[in-house]
Amino acid sequence: MDMLLQFVANGLVSGAFYALSALGLTLIFGLMRVVNFAHGELYMLGGVMGWLATTVLGLNFFAGLALTLAVMGACGWLVDRFLIERVRDQGEEPSILLTIGLSIFLTNTALLLVGTAPLTIEGPLPNKPVFLGPVVLTELRVFAVAACAVLILAAHLVIRHTRLGRAMRATFQDPMAARLAGINTARVYASTFALGTMLAASAGMLLGSIYSTHVSAGGLVSLKAFVVVILGGMGSFAGAIVGGLILGVAEALWGGYISTGTVDIIGFIIVILTLIFKPYGLFSTQVERA
Amino acid sequence: MRKLILAPIMATAVLASAAAPAQDTVKIGLIQPLTGSVAYNGTADANGARLAVKERNAAGGVLGKQVELIIEDGQCSPANSVNAAEKLIQRDRVVALVGAFCSSATSAVMPVARKYKTPFLTGVSSEASLTEKGNPYFFRSAETDALLGKAFSRLIVDNLGLKKVAYIGVNDDWGRGSAKAFEQELSSHGVETAMIEYFNHGATDFYTLLTKLRGSGADGVFVAAETQDGSTLVKQIKQFGIDMDVFGVGSWATSDFIKITGDAAEGIYAAVPYVSNLPGERNERFVKDYSAAYDHAPGKYAAAGYNSLNIMMDAIDRAGGTDAGAIVDGLHATDYQAPNGRYRFTRTGQGYGFDAALVQIRDGHTDVVATTRIADPQADGAKDGQ
Repeated sequence: MDMLLQFVANGLVSGAFYALSALGLTLIFGLMRVVNFAHGELYMLGGVMGWLATTVLGLNFFAGLALTLAVMGACGWLVDRFLIERVRDQGEEPSILLTIGLSIFLTNTALLLVGTAPLTIEGPLPNKPVFLGPVVLTELRVFAVAACAVLILAAHLVIRHTRLGRAMRATFQDPMAARLAGINTARVYASTFALGTMLAASAGMLLGSIYSTHVSAGGLVSLKAFVVVILGGMGSFAGAIVGGLILGVAEALWGGYISTGTVDIIGFIIVILTLIFKPYGLFSTQVERA
Repeated sequence: MRKLILAPIMATAVLASAAAPAQDTVKIGLIQPLTGSVAYNGTADANGARLAVKERNAAGGVLGKQVELIIEDGQCSPANSVNAAEKLIQRDRVVALVGAFCSSATSAVMPVARKYKTPFLTGVSSEASLTEKGNPYFFRSAETDALLGKAFSRLIVDNLGLKKVAYIGVNDDWGRGSAKAFEQELSSHGVETAMIEYFNHGATDFYTLLTKLRGSGADGVFVAAETQDGSTLVKQIKQFGIDMDVFGVGSWATSDFIKITGDAAEGIYAAVPYVSNLPGERNERFVKDYSAAYDHAPGKYAAAGYNSLNIMMDAIDRAGGTDAGAIVDGLHATDYQAPNGRYRFTRTGQGYGFDAALVQIRDGHTDVVATTRIADPQADGAKDGQ
C-alpha cells in the first residue's frame, strides 16, 4: 500500500511535468495549425538559457527564469515572423519540414555553443526530502508542481480573458473575418508562437533545476509531448493536463509493478489505443477550420 | 540563384583539392557518437584520440609519414555507424578503423570491416560476444563486462562487506551485460540478489525505480550507467533518503561527474578501467598532456581513445606497410605500455593485462581504494586481484 501511494505520487509529479512540457505544443497546434517538431528543442534552449543566466551571469533562479522567458519569447516571435510566416496557409507539410529543419539547426547550434556536457541549474529550494506519511517528495518537486499549475493557469487566463487571447481565438476561428474586423493577424500568430515558446522554455528551465539538462534533451521531450497531445486532443488545454497526468501515473504503475526497463512502451500503447478508439483525443472539440 | 547552385559545387571542388595531396599520409578512421545521448563520452574519446595522433605526428608519425585522423559521427546507432564506416573506407580510403563506442553500433560495423578487409579496433564496446564472432579483423582494447565483474567482485566483497545487493542498469547491451555479469560474480561470492531493474537511455525521473529499491532491503546498489543518467540517478538516491553503498560502472570517476553530481557524489564507489590519479609516471605524463590540451583531466573514455589510437598506430608501424593482413599481425603482436598498464591481445583479439581501479569519491576527489589487473581470459588459473 505504501508503495502504491509512492508510485501514484511519483506519477502525478512527472505527469504535471509532462503536462507543462506538452502545453506549448498543443497551444501552437490548436491556434496556429502548426505541428511544431522543434518543440523539444525550444524546451532544451529554455534549459540552456536558464543555465547561462544562473551559472554564467550569476542571477538567482527567478531572475534567471524571467530573463529566459523574455529572451525565448523574443526568439519565438522572430521565428514566427521570419520563418513560419513564409509557409503560412500553404498546408501542413511545409511547416512540418520547416520545424524539423529548425529542430536540427537548434540542436547543433547549441552543441557548438555549450558542448555536450550535462548542465545543472541551481534550483530556488534545496532538494531535501519531504515526508508526507509514507510518501517521499522533495521541496523542489513540490515547488515545481506548484509552478506548473501557476504557469498553466496563467496561460489559460491569457487566452480566455485578455484582448490578445480573444484576438487569438478569433484568428483561429476564421483568419479572414478576424482581419476584416481589424485584428492584426500576423501579430497574433507571432504572439501565439512566442507564448508557446515561453511555455516550452519555462518547462525546460524548471525541469533542468530538478534533473539536469543537456543539448540533446529535446528528442525525448518532443516524443512524450506528442503522446500527451494525441491522448488529450490536439489543441486542448484540459486534454494536455489530463493526458499528462494519465501518462505519468500509467508509467509509474507500469514501472513499479511490471518493469522499469520497458516503461517507454506505455506511451506507444496509449497512442495506438487513442488512435483506434478516440482518434481526436479525449478532449478534442473536433472543430474543423472554416 | 546561380550563386546558390554554384556554392556547393565550389565547396566540393575546394574540398577535393584539399584532399588530393593526402596520399602521403596514413589515414585512420574514427567513428564516435558526437551527437545524441552519449555524445559527451564520444567527444571525450575523440579528444583522447586526437591527442595520441598529435603526439605521434610530433615524434615523426608512422612509417615515416604523418597520421591523418578522420572522425565521423556514428551517433551510437548501428545504421549511422555503418554509413560512417562505408564512407571512411570507400571515400577516404582509411587503412584502419577505430570505434563505434556502443556495442550494438560496433557489432554492426564489424561485418563491414570484414567485407573490406579493414582492421577494426574498439576501445570502448564491452559486450562480451563481440570478440567471439570469429572476425579476424576485429580487436578490442577494453574490458568486457564479464572480465570487469570477475576482477572487481572480490574487491567489492572485501572492501564493502555487502550481503544483499540490488542491480540497476541502463537498458542496452552494455547495461544489461554489466548488471548480469556483476550479479553472477557477486552471487558466487555469496552475496544475495535483492532485485535487477533497467531504465531507458535519457530517463530523468527515477523515483519509481527508487521506491522499489527502498522496498528491496538491499544494503548496497550496483549501477551501470553513463555520466548523465548516472549523476541524475545518484542525486535522486540521496534526495530520496536512501542510505546504501552505491557502486557503479561507467564514466563515474571523472571530474565532470563529480561536478554535476555535487554533494550527492560523496562516498560512492566506482569500478573503472581508468582514473586520472592512477599511480605511475606514464599516467602522470598523459594527464599532464591531456590537461594542457583540453583544460580538464582525462576520464575513462579519453584514455580509451588515446590508447586505442596508440595501439593501432603501433600496429601499423610494426606491419611496415598498410597491408591489412600485416596490420592484423601487428595488432596480435601488441605489447603497449599504456597510462593504465600493459595491453596485449588474446588470439580472438580480446585485450588484457591492463589495470582497473576501485575508487571512492571523497571531498570531490577520487581516491583509489584498490587496483586489480584484467587477467588473460584464456589462461587457465588466471588469478584476479593483485
